[in-house]
Amino acid sequence: MEKPRVAIFDFAGCEGCQLQIINLEEEILVLLQLVDVVEWREGMSHQSSSYDIAIVEGSITRPEDAERLRSIRRQAKWLIALGSCATHGGVNKLRHLLDFDIAAEQVYGEAASQTHLQSEHVRAINEVVDVDSYVFGCPIDAREFAKVVKAIVFGKRPEIPEYPVCVECKLQGIICRYEYGEVCVGPLTRAGCDARCPSAGFRCFGCRGLLEDANVEAAREVMDRYGKTTDELEARMALFNTL
Amino acid sequence: MSTVKMEESQLLEWVDKLIALQRVIGVQEKQDHFVYDTLRSASDLRLDHDVTYLPPVKFLFPQREQLIDFKLDEGYESRIESEPFVLLGVHPYDVVAISQMDAIYSTGHEDQHYMSRRRNATIIACDVETPSKNTFAGYMGTATVKEGFDVLLTRIESEYIAEAGSEKGEALLTLVSEGVTSATADHLARREEVWRNNVDKMKQQELKVDPRDWPALLQASYSDPIWEAQANLCFSCGGCNLVCGTCACFDVQDQLNWDLREGTRSRVCDACMVRGFMQVAGGHDFQSQRGMRYRHRFFRKGSYIPERFGFVACTGCGRCTSACVSDIANPVKLYNTLLERHPEVFAHRAEEPAPTQAQETKAPTSVFTLYPTKGWVSKKEGERRDIYLPELATLVRSNPITPTETFYQFSLDSGRALGHEPGQFVMISVMGYGEAPFSITSPPRDDDTFDMVIRKVGTVTTALANLQRGDKVGVRGPFGTAFPVYDELLHKDLVIVAGGLGIVPVRSVILYVLSHREDFGRLTIAYGMRTPSERLFVDDLRRFRREPGVTLLETVDRTEGRWTGSVGPVTTVLPEIGPVTSNTRAIVCGPPVMYRFVLSDLLAMGMPEDHIFLSLERRMKCGLGKCGHCQIHGLYACQDGPVLKYSQLVGLQEAL
Repeated sequence: MEKPRVAIFDFAGCEGCQLQIINLEEEILVLLQLVDVVEWREGMSHQSSSYDIAIVEGSITRPEDAERLRSIRRQAKWLIALGSCATHGGVNKLRHLLDFDIAAEQVYGEAASQTHLQSEHVRAINEVVDVDSYVFGCPIDAREFAKVVKAIVFGKRPEIPEYPVCVECKLQGIICRYEYGEVCVGPLTRAGCDARCPSAGFRCFGCRGLLEDANVEAAREVMDRYGKTTDELEARMALFNTL
Repeated sequence: MSTVKMEESQLLEWVDKLIALQRVIGVQEKQDHFVYDTLRSASDLRLDHDVTYLPPVKFLFPQREQLIDFKLDEGYESRIESEPFVLLGVHPYDVVAISQMDAIYSTGHEDQHYMSRRRNATIIACDVETPSKNTFAGYMGTATVKEGFDVLLTRIESEYIAEAGSEKGEALLTLVSEGVTSATADHLARREEVWRNNVDKMKQQELKVDPRDWPALLQASYSDPIWEAQANLCFSCGGCNLVCGTCACFDVQDQLNWDLREGTRSRVCDACMVRGFMQVAGGHDFQSQRGMRYRHRFFRKGSYIPERFGFVACTGCGRCTSACVSDIANPVKLYNTLLERHPEVFAHRAEEPAPTQAQETKAPTSVFTLYPTKGWVSKKEGERRDIYLPELATLVRSNPITPTETFYQFSLDSGRALGHEPGQFVMISVMGYGEAPFSITSPPRDDDTFDMVIRKVGTVTTALANLQRGDKVGVRGPFGTAFPVYDELLHKDLVIVAGGLGIVPVRSVILYVLSHREDFGRLTIAYGMRTPSERLFVDDLRRFRREPGVTLLETVDRTEGRWTGSVGPVTTVLPEIGPVTSNTRAIVCGPPVMYRFVLSDLLAMGMPEDHIFLSLERRMKCGLGKCGHCQIHGLYACQDGPVLKYSQLVGLQEAL
């Protein structure tokens, strides 16, 4: 069997998800026996325009990014969105809460007017092109990434949970953060991280994005029960789930 | 059996001796909650705990366990755990919950993975010292126990009474230190008092409906809008399921190693509140709404399990109440509310004492008891086999018969005949991808082959489509009920109504009937498909048309090409099936949407409900009535179905 050729691309993001791939260390060597990596700015100098699987990190914030992404899509048989910025916009979309010009000035100061720093409405990868697989999280879980790639190579649809993080808390016997008086967005957030934050004693920050059928209305309703307000809930959701 | 009394120091000494002998999983404090965990020293033990966050049954039915190791093309091997261990500090309501799980996993087909662990477990129970704030065990008959444990500890001031409940427990008690004496009559009398007090102590939440009345109350409340109203607050997180001591449902998943040649099949605890629990590969979800799933959980525990096993699958621990962020899981609140909303259910008992007080004195008002009185049935070693272990089969041939459907013939490597009856199904595994249920389309055969026709819709079916001749699959089965061609259908005029893929299982019946023509009367086949080119088994259809005594009525939803036959749903051709007599039996099989129309037409033609046989599609995962995915009200599609008489389904709104 010919090895699938893999190319890794990045757009607006911190590149932390790519770093996670490098962090696979030993497993990456096994993974490399299954695929040929033909382009990866972060990991290698070589470039190629011929690949089967495109792995795309980051959000789309400029017209030229959208164009580049479309050309990647045309090349790739299978496109994977990598990390929150790519899967649903993630923290980049926080900017939608601000006036764009003010945000640019705060970040870049006097340089804000330079053309390459001009940006538009933030879009997740699937708001521009079709996506075949998602690796959620901020940052991604390297083992989950490996699992997804393995599944694709094996010709199997990767099993990504479509249930709340609470499932993984309960499976591990992790005490609910609401019992500690915290507003946790776990009940609304897609699981798959093994409840990483709650298992370390933090509330869920919602980095894997809202579930398709997230019951946001229920979350608003139950805030009262815990002496919290819907504003507090929305503030917690904003970090990774601003529209 | 011995009953001894020990000072606390003697008890701790005894526990440390147990720890030296085998793994002891005891109740300990972790942060500000109680958990079961491996006990390193008796001094960590907390017999005064109120309730643990997760129930002790997780050590018998773990959240994730590996069932099978597999090597693609080579074979499969069961993983059965057989390390002995002690569960220490189990409260009575959890002792009962474990007995219930024993009943579920040992009744009918024994689950060897669970039962091996169970046989190796020693249960040291302890009476409750501190009730948890959400418990209602006092109303459930589970505040105290008389059986189901190996040793029962009861604290009486600074002393403990330890009673052996089994030979295993008796043996453990021989390890107590010198100086420990038998409990006196006075001790036993004081223990009786603890038990009496505990029944009251364990009524922290006031339950106004006797659990024996739950099934009747639920039946009266099925269509109550309360289910949907409550479920509006549900996150579908399954928290209530996953902390439950009696939730037994599971999912099965394959993991592949990096070499892509070997891997493991695991099962994980599943939750019926989670979306997709009853979704089949084609995409249809039989419980797509939160309200349906929310109702299902209560019905499963308060009605379906009682119907099937004779006990209410709730022991009043209150864990679900604590786990639910939205506070909608509490059974006490729910049943009390149902009682308020449906007082008519118990109106005829107005003269009798209120149900909750009646519990202690009155005989059960229905046929079931509160919990299994007999433990699991011990089977002889030789009778035990892993019910989840597939046998190897080889793909003999496969050919696409439409753009989406492929015909497959498999042969069992053991050389045995599959031994199925028309209408039954098998579980086919493509290791690494998963396992799924499929109807058998061939009639019963003497040789080791069988045939299927499978539509490519999901992971397993796609993997099947990629198989080459000679490739291996795993097979379990045949499972489920069949169309009764050997008895009830004998000498009858048969009307077979099939829509779409529904032709696949009934083809087995048709071919059987055609090869035993003298045993049956007239055969009428009504077959509906979306378009002419999607019709399956066109060669067979041509042959059926020529057979004497056989009428084939075909119709398509949309015409194309040179189709000159009928156009419209399968009901279009039903008027042509001729007169329905007392000797006519109907077999109906098709997509969910088809049943309602076909059934109403057949009934209008004068066909009695018990003369109509149907085959239902559900998400069979285990095939053996364990995993909970194919439940239709009190029925398991995998065991009581897939073939059912319409008369069995009347009034079951989730069936059709």
